[in-house]
Amino acid sequence: MAGGEKPVLIKDGKRLDGRGAEDLREIKIIPDYIKNADGSAYIEWGNNKIIAAVYGPQEALPKHVQDPQRAIIKCRYQMAPFSSLEEHGRTGPNRRAIEISKVTKEVFENAVLIDYFPGSEIDLYVEVLQGDGGTRAAGITVASVAMALSGIPMRDLPYSVSVGKVGESLILDLNKIEDNYSDADMPIAISPKSNDILLLQMDGNLTRDEVRQGIKMAQRAGEKIARMQREALKAPYERIAERYKK
Amino acid sequence: MQKIVVPGEKIADAQLRLDDGLVENNATYSTVIGIYDDERKTLIPLEGLWYPRRDDRVVGVIEEDKLNTYVVNLNAPYKGLIISKFVDTPLAAGDSIEAMIKEVDKTKTAILMRPRRLAGGKVMMVRPSKVPRIIGKNDTMIKQIMDFTKSTIVIGLNGVVWMKGGNVDLATAAILKIEEEAHTSGLTERVREMLQKGAL
Repeated sequence: MAGGEKPVLIKDGKRLDGRGAEDLREIKIIPDYIKNADGSAYIEWGNNKIIAAVYGPQEALPKHVQDPQRAIIKCRYQMAPFSSLEEHGRTGPNRRAIEISKVTKEVFENAVLIDYFPGSEIDLYVEVLQGDGGTRAAGITVASVAMALSGIPMRDLPYSVSVGKVGESLILDLNKIEDNYSDADMPIAISPKSNDILLLQMDGNLTRDEVRQGIKMAQRAGEKIARMQREALKAPYERIAERYKK
Repeated sequence: MQKIVVPGEKIADAQLRLDDGLVENNATYSTVIGIYDDERKTLIPLEGLWYPRRDDRVVGVIEEDKLNTYVVNLNAPYKGLIISKFVDTPLAAGDSIEAMIKEVDKTKTAILMRPRRLAGGKVMMVRPSKVPRIIGKNDTMIKQIMDFTKSTIVIGLNGVVWMKGGNVDLATAAILKIEEEAHTSGLTERVREMLQKGAL
């Protein structure tokens, strides 16, 4: 948490940017953003701007990292040096980037049917161009769109969103200021088909009831996010099909 | 009724045996972006990968000439192998070949048989899920392209296309158009129009 005087985050039931407690920021997903990648997508989630690209599956190199039973996923989450007011990425991946790469990788190890591709690797790149809180959640959301576009078979399209606590109330989808000054912050990634939780991290303190309530909030918001992911995936095909409809 | 489905989307409340489906809790879910037809019970992937299978016809490039085998790059996470003693004329690294898959072993390495060397020409990669559309029903689409462009075209199920002679540029453009519009109807006629315009 950042130092300094704590700003008033909720005033008359409204948050700093005018949202209610359970409102998401505006989300826009553009599929097939990078032509050279096997699958790619771009997301604008509030002020977050993130590109995700997937390459593979291809032969895993060096050879000793190969798993004869399943594919391995290599994930690289990186914030661009110009992405926020703080220092990022000038000297390669820092502690935070390594951690987020790891948790993102673990989300997709449970969502992708990796046992179809023994001995191969899938490369996933998540590049944050502009960050405004909740980049790991937005990164996972856009990465699952990119992964689906690459044609790699998946159990499900995971989405992710963060839940936080300000004073006594829980809020959804924290931005940078809320993230810095809130009492707790809990990013969650969920597989919408079964509501399995693929990622659950927490910074700060929440009671048991608050965690349960937070997960429910994330699931409610997730219906909306999952719908946007599906629409983004279907839109290009429907557009071409529409052009030639009789 | 046809509809576009995405990974994790439920396509039927029954256990269907589909290549790109996944059965969980007595229901079938899609694992890829595809078109599901609930009358024919088929799921055609729009984005998909190629898995080596017996009797698949593939096109590849020889990567390495080892003591008793040739290693073939199949544009996939798996390699192809040709046993040298079954090859009459020796091959060299860099040669394009067409071959059939004899068997696939546990590590998904494809053992190839009856390799045919493809001399010269151009090699292009397409998405493997679009290959059936490029070939067409009873080879109509590919025959049409070959008739108009006078090119020799060999397509492997792994998504590698070899072309030689004739108007290769026009054939490439036609194949790219099919790749983009594979899921639309009336494509054969549109490609014919395109070829007629281009051939003038």
